[in-house]
Amino acid sequence: MRSFLYFLLFMVVAVMIVVLAAILGDEGAWYFAWLIGTTMIVLVSAAGGAMLDATEDQLARRQGGDPAGHG
Amino acid sequence: MINGTVVDLSRLQFAATALYHFLFVPLTLGMSFLLAAMETVYVTTGRPIYRQMAMFWGRLFMINFALGVATGLTMEFQFGTNWSFYSSFVGDIFGAPLAIEGLMAFFMESTFIGLMVFGWHRLSKGQHLAVTWLVALASNLSALWILVANGFMQDPQGAAFDPTTMRMHLTSFQDLIFSPDAQSKFVHTSIAGYVTGAIFVAGVSAYYLLRKRHVDLAKRSFRMAVLFGVLATIGVVTLGDALGFVDAKAQPTKLAAMEGLWKTEEAPLPLNLIAFPSQAKQRNYGAVQIPAVLSLLETHSLYGTVPAIDALERQAARQVEDGIPAVQALEALSRNPQDPAALAQFDAHREDLGYGFLVQRYAPDLARVTPAEIRQAAKDSIPPVAAVFWSFRVMVGLGLAMLAFFVLATLYSLRNRVQEKTWLLKLALWMIPLPFLADEAGWLVAELGRQPWTVYGVLPTWMSASTHSVGYMAFSLIGFVVLYSTFIAIEMYLMVRTIRLGPAEPGGPRDRESAPRPMLSGRPFAAAPQVAKRED
Amino acid sequence: MNGYAIAQIVWWLLLGVLLMGLAVMVGMDMGVGASLRYVGRTDTERRVALNIIGPHWDGNQVWFILGGGAIFAAFPLIYATAFSGFYVVMLLLLWTMILRPIGFEYRSRIGNPAWRGAWDWALVVSGAVPMIVFGAAFGNLFRGVPFHFEWNMTSFYTGSFLGLLNPFAVMTGVLSLAMSVMMGSLTVMNGAGGVMAARARGLAQLAGLIAIVLFAIGGLWVHSMPGYHWVGGPGPGIPQTPLQQTVVTSPGTWFDNFGAHPVLWCVPALGFAGMLGAILAARAKRSHLGWWSGAVAWIGVIGSAGSALFPFMLPSSSDPSLSLTVWNSSSSESTLLWMIGFTAFFVPLILWYTGWAFWVMRGKITPEMVEGDEHAY
Repeated sequence: MRSFLYFLLFMVVAVMIVVLAAILGDEGAWYFAWLIGTTMIVLVSAAGGAMLDATEDQLARRQGGDPAGHG
Repeated sequence: MINGTVVDLSRLQFAATALYHFLFVPLTLGMSFLLAAMETVYVTTGRPIYRQMAMFWGRLFMINFALGVATGLTMEFQFGTNWSFYSSFVGDIFGAPLAIEGLMAFFMESTFIGLMVFGWHRLSKGQHLAVTWLVALASNLSALWILVANGFMQDPQGAAFDPTTMRMHLTSFQDLIFSPDAQSKFVHTSIAGYVTGAIFVAGVSAYYLLRKRHVDLAKRSFRMAVLFGVLATIGVVTLGDALGFVDAKAQPTKLAAMEGLWKTEEAPLPLNLIAFPSQAKQRNYGAVQIPAVLSLLETHSLYGTVPAIDALERQAARQVEDGIPAVQALEALSRNPQDPAALAQFDAHREDLGYGFLVQRYAPDLARVTPAEIRQAAKDSIPPVAAVFWSFRVMVGLGLAMLAFFVLATLYSLRNRVQEKTWLLKLALWMIPLPFLADEAGWLVAELGRQPWTVYGVLPTWMSASTHSVGYMAFSLIGFVVLYSTFIAIEMYLMVRTIRLGPAEPGGPRDRESAPRPMLSGRPFAAAPQVAKRED
Repeated sequence: MNGYAIAQIVWWLLLGVLLMGLAVMVGMDMGVGASLRYVGRTDTERRVALNIIGPHWDGNQVWFILGGGAIFAAFPLIYATAFSGFYVVMLLLLWTMILRPIGFEYRSRIGNPAWRGAWDWALVVSGAVPMIVFGAAFGNLFRGVPFHFEWNMTSFYTGSFLGLLNPFAVMTGVLSLAMSVMMGSLTVMNGAGGVMAARARGLAQLAGLIAIVLFAIGGLWVHSMPGYHWVGGPGPGIPQTPLQQTVVTSPGTWFDNFGAHPVLWCVPALGFAGMLGAILAARAKRSHLGWWSGAVAWIGVIGSAGSALFPFMLPSSSDPSLSLTVWNSSSSESTLLWMIGFTAFFVPLILWYTGWAFWVMRGKITPEMVEGDEHAY
């Protein structure tokens, strides 16, 4: 029951976002692009950091050392 | 009557304080999202190095932020203190986004920044991350409303002049906030801030990598910054193009000045890559041109043209002549707001009211205006071409240089070969001043290119200033110069000192995080509540 | 009374609320700043005082910025005329205000005692001067300000800088400073213990006493000075310029509103009660109660000024008929309505998250905490 209520809540939120995004996309396409673009820039940058850790861990495992970044 | 020296000094003061303020703002806009990115990695992967990163860059962020806030105070009040006619004339429209900025963005930013700095141990990981994201979002929303206000100055949408109140009135809030100029300008400026933040973080990280200090922190910061930066720079260039496209329609005189277009030509128009424009002779010297590129850039078509200065001046002269009866009708309405003849005359000429004001600078009594004065006013309608032309080229040149740097740096960072490439690291260090220069140049293009108007086509700059004495203006200008010079010296000193000192390494002498001492940010989460407790 | 007139009154009230928010929140930080060198005798004590407001001063300061923005949006003529007329005073306000963010952020980053001492003085000045200017500005509203308009509403200020520092304005400036020192001291009592709390306790009572005396004198003084009286003109809810009304001055008219609506006497009574409550609470070491009493006192004092002045916002002593009122200086109906919408949505939200921020950072600040934390001010 609780999960279902949460599902309903988030469904309502999702529908609201769709409506708002539709309006924003219509009236202010650049604003919409900014929202999406900023999110993407931040997440790509974050993924870049995580990727560096992954490569270093791999490298460390291959050499049998202690993975870096856990300091 | 209005004193021309006072207007010039007011302009100088506004430009100086705005350019100064704009040294700090872009770094705040960009670094706040970089901090959010770092902390996002910390919360998702749980690796403490990312928390150390967020904290260290957060310290530099705060040094910059303090001056951004301080100098922003000046901006908020300067419209009233030095541009009082402007403020009363368009406050109905221009004031609203400034007030909304305070309500929606600045309050959020300033309240949560306290928690971002002091709340590391008092908030859960998720809460602190949310706070950091809110700070980043709020600082950029703040830019949004400021640029909506600025967009109105560039291309007044959603407003009309009301002769009963002698002021501009808001007619459509939607048109104001969704004005194409406001939109593209906001995205362009905000993302230019991201580029500034990315160059700064990459440059400082390069400094550590060159000296082999804090290597783990620095190479992660470098990687994140260059990825952030490469995408942001692409965005800035795209939006710069969009802004040019918008300006071609909304601000033809700015565009003509940016490109040094003196004479009307047939499409396709060539681009002046380099030229030395002369306002007096109305021509360029030493022009290096690329055929057809300007038509492509500004109209996205080979067959499009944009108006040149000769045509724009002729049009302005016609508008000045049409604006004169509008101003005369307005004077009659000021004496008697119900005068039907004056109202009819005003309605017939209202579109060109601003151009009537433009010539009033030379002919306070418009009944005795001469053709020479009308020609002079029409000439005034063109911004200072050489300054706008070169600011634009500096901005674009620096932008493209940063794009090239980021592409290169991303390539080497993704191959994990940055540390070997000392030339790249040195280059990164030397890149630090570039975005700041580009930001300032961009401001100059936008605001010099808007001249002679404070509100394009509606309100001339010469009318907008407060009626102060030269003495007052000299006093305030000297005061600002002294204060601001002191501040920048202190800021640079602290910035460099904090960078030299570097982040506190875990277990090192300055690592107070892991020491078992009570801390301001680290008091237990369930400290006794303070509410209505007796003090004894 | 049409919708536009209601919107004008609502904005006049909202502006009052924002000014009260400014006085309470900024005033408390300013009070801590102004009394910094008295309440804190050692460097560590001063850092404790600064860190009590450390996480909040920045957010509080936005009340000041929002006050400016709201006047700009809702009463552009007031923003334009007052800020340019009060030019030198506004510069003093600005220049001292911009010392604060830098003072907070930079003071404790370097250990040198001379450096820190200099910033302490900067914080004292930047706490005291803005509050005096804030109070003096209100005082000058009662006296009228020498300005007039040209046909196209270009405003001219014909007074001198010293004219703004007349005895009445200086008195209201000191009143405002006293109230902020009282609030600042109560804030220090909330957040610090021991000898600092004891010093702050004494200071809060003294400042509260000065405030009561000055508020009473101010009332009598206003009663004896010439007040402005609106005789005729387009009136509420009609788009107009200030060129179309008639205003006269005569002694005692500032109390007309109280005569017409005796219930308004509750407002100054609230001011006195709040100050008295704050003093008694400080005496009883119940500083939180005292802080809230002090907030009530601010509401009473600003409310009293507003009740007396209404509908005047910026009376002109050069030509009383050019005085700016709620009716002739407000924005258009459309702007006022949009801004009411934004304010109604965001101010409660602001109060909510500000409250949350205070709750997160609750508790006393001790010297060990300040010395042990690299992030501390």
